[in-house]
Amino acid sequence: MKATQGTTYRMLGTRLNDISLQLEELRKIGATGKRLNVPSDDPAAIRPVLNTRKQLSNIDRYLETMGKSSDVMQATDGHLGHVESIMQRAKEIVTNAANDTLSSEDRTTLAEELSLLRAELLDAANGSVDGKYLFAGYEEDSKPFSVNPAYTAAGYNPADSATWPVSYQGDGNPTSLEISAGEIVQVNLTGNDLFLGASTWNTPGPNSIDPGRYDLFAELTQAEEAVRANDQAGMQQSLTDLEGAAEQNRRLRSQLGNRADRVESAMEYQAGVRIDLEQILSRYEDADAIEAFNDIVKQETALQAALSVTSKVSQLSILDYL
Amino acid sequence: MTSLLNALNAGKTSLLTNQKSIEIVGNNIANVNTEGYSRQRAELMQIPAVNFNDFFIGQGVTVSNVSRDYSSFITRQLQSKTIDYGEESGRSGPLTELERIFNVTENNLASQINDFFDAWQELTANPSGQVERDMVIQRGQLLGDAFANISNELDTLTQNMNTEITGEVEYLNEKISEIAKLNDRIRLVEVTGQTANAARDQRDLIVQELSETLGVKTYTDNQGMLAVQLPGGMPLVQGNMAATISTVLTGGNVNLQVNIAGSALNVTSANLGGKMKGMFEMRDTFIAGLRADLDTLAVDLTSAVNAEHVNGYGSDGLTGRVFFDDISALPPGSVPSRNIRVHLTDSSQVAAAGNPAAAPGDNENALTIASLEVTHKVGTTNDTFDNFFSQIVATVGIEAARNELALGGAQDATVQLQNLRDGYSGVSLEEEMIDLIQYQRGFESSAKFLATVDEMMNALLQLKG
Repeated sequence: MKATQGTTYRMLGTRLNDISLQLEELRKIGATGKRLNVPSDDPAAIRPVLNTRKQLSNIDRYLETMGKSSDVMQATDGHLGHVESIMQRAKEIVTNAANDTLSSEDRTTLAEELSLLRAELLDAANGSVDGKYLFAGYEEDSKPFSVNPAYTAAGYNPADSATWPVSYQGDGNPTSLEISAGEIVQVNLTGNDLFLGASTWNTPGPNSIDPGRYDLFAELTQAEEAVRANDQAGMQQSLTDLEGAAEQNRRLRSQLGNRADRVESAMEYQAGVRIDLEQILSRYEDADAIEAFNDIVKQETALQAALSVTSKVSQLSILDYL
Repeated sequence: MTSLLNALNAGKTSLLTNQKSIEIVGNNIANVNTEGYSRQRAELMQIPAVNFNDFFIGQGVTVSNVSRDYSSFITRQLQSKTIDYGEESGRSGPLTELERIFNVTENNLASQINDFFDAWQELTANPSGQVERDMVIQRGQLLGDAFANISNELDTLTQNMNTEITGEVEYLNEKISEIAKLNDRIRLVEVTGQTANAARDQRDLIVQELSETLGVKTYTDNQGMLAVQLPGGMPLVQGNMAATISTVLTGGNVNLQVNIAGSALNVTSANLGGKMKGMFEMRDTFIAGLRADLDTLAVDLTSAVNAEHVNGYGSDGLTGRVFFDDISALPPGSVPSRNIRVHLTDSSQVAAAGNPAAAPGDNENALTIASLEVTHKVGTTNDTFDNFFSQIVATVGIEAARNELALGGAQDATVQLQNLRDGYSGVSLEEEMIDLIQYQRGFESSAKFLATVDEMMNALLQLKG
């Protein structure tokens, strides 16, 4: 066994090559800041990385969806607050009208005001955001409520929607959105549920008011009729019914409020998860900067050593000693 | 009877022998950087002694043979490690490409799949939105493009490998016929009792190159001729007869044939070794497997989306339409991953609604399709679409990482063995210098001896006068 020139230079060459390649690799890590540049860098990390990226993009989408839902809910809440004050005012008017001392002119004025309130309620019920009607179910492009010309006080039947003072052109489907993986939340209320007291709606009818619930428009119309006719018993009945109707509105409003809270907290939660996921992603694909630069310095020193050995070797030759 | 003339003769043989030896040293030095050169050395032998009155007196020295430092054990080891190295190096080129095609950047197929379902998710928030509906169709087309892109890249890669194989074959044939010629020369030289050192060195070098590309096996016969075979036993060189390798196209892929004695034998990857084996296995097994997985994903994704889409209603109120063209039963020869196309022609056909009324706010079917991203499992696996894709990428990553390790190992091993070979057969300048001094001194001493004999003869000749 002997050390030949070929062996020496081959070893030096291979070693220099190895060190330069490793240095190149380290520099790439240092420059990109990522330790996962190609699949072979860490095959086990690929699935978690791609999965986390998907979750991150989904969270962005959920946050956006929830932002939109929250807008809709806020707008809805504003309208419901308005409905609340309309019902409150109607009750006051009817209480006032039930007073015996009023003249018939006064009562007519009050009845007119009730009629105006009903028109105002109709406006609230036809409220829209972004050109989409809030209380129309899936039929968000068509105006949901309109005065029913076929209405007569005598022909009114709670079990037949065709006889109601205001007719509904929407449908009974509330909008649901996905606010986190697999969790679907109803983000609005349908007009039939909120204003007409019918929890389900068939198009075309017939539809009827659920027992114990109220058609807000019918209650206002009946109150107006009772006031006009100075029907004391009717007014008393209207007072109870208006209170019930206002209560129905409050109940649904608080339901919506609860859902808005749910969306609010889900948004916070998702934003928190987002940070966690980014950390996880970083742990899989990002390089430790200090470690990377340390390694580069270490490798550069090794390269220097190898280079200096290479130059020393060529200085040593038997030819100089003969 | 001793004679000064005998002494002169002995001196002459010594001069010639030392001169010959120095020539050999010179040749060694000249070939210090020649690849595959084995150090040669003069075998010295004294000329048989002659009997002078019962005294056996030497008649000088001669070079009986020029031999080379050679260890067939090391050569064989080197040959077998070179086969391993060749096999891994045949895989490493395609793998580098595959790592680029199945990358882990933020712009791979997985992100296109995410974007596609994200568009559906966005549609749920505004099912009647024209922009959102257009977006779904557009994302569907982009997804199809992404699949087609990968499929085309795989095709290009396969084509490049085919080209490389074809190009390699020409050199292989040259090398194979070279071995046959060298076999013939070695037999002719060695029949006279000489050793054909240069020819043997050259043949070893070619065999090593053939080992790297084809993983050949070799046997030496009693005439010093080398039989070369493919690992499966197909003969490439027999004595001074060389087979030729040719390429045949089967199904768009290049395959090899060995033509010998008028018949053509097909070479399968089981019959190959070295770089060719690595390349054939990559092409016929690994890449083909990736392609099959990609097609599975393409068919599964489009079928899953279609299955839900036909249940929904477009904004025009019609139902029963597929979103993508059906690629689950394509005619043979068509690749599913290259044929993903959105079937819908108008955004009104996007079935976001789940009810026959197809009301503008109806997002039920869009919700169902958007949820496929997390709920649907591909085929019989437990993987979602993007998990299935990451599985494909991980397969490439694992194989590339393994190859990197194995290639590094094989390279180290060949370097070690080459060093071992050099340690045995290589030229060491130090050794040659010392030999040079040794033979020079021998030559000088012989000259001195001849001068002495000459003086003695002179003394004899002067006796008369």
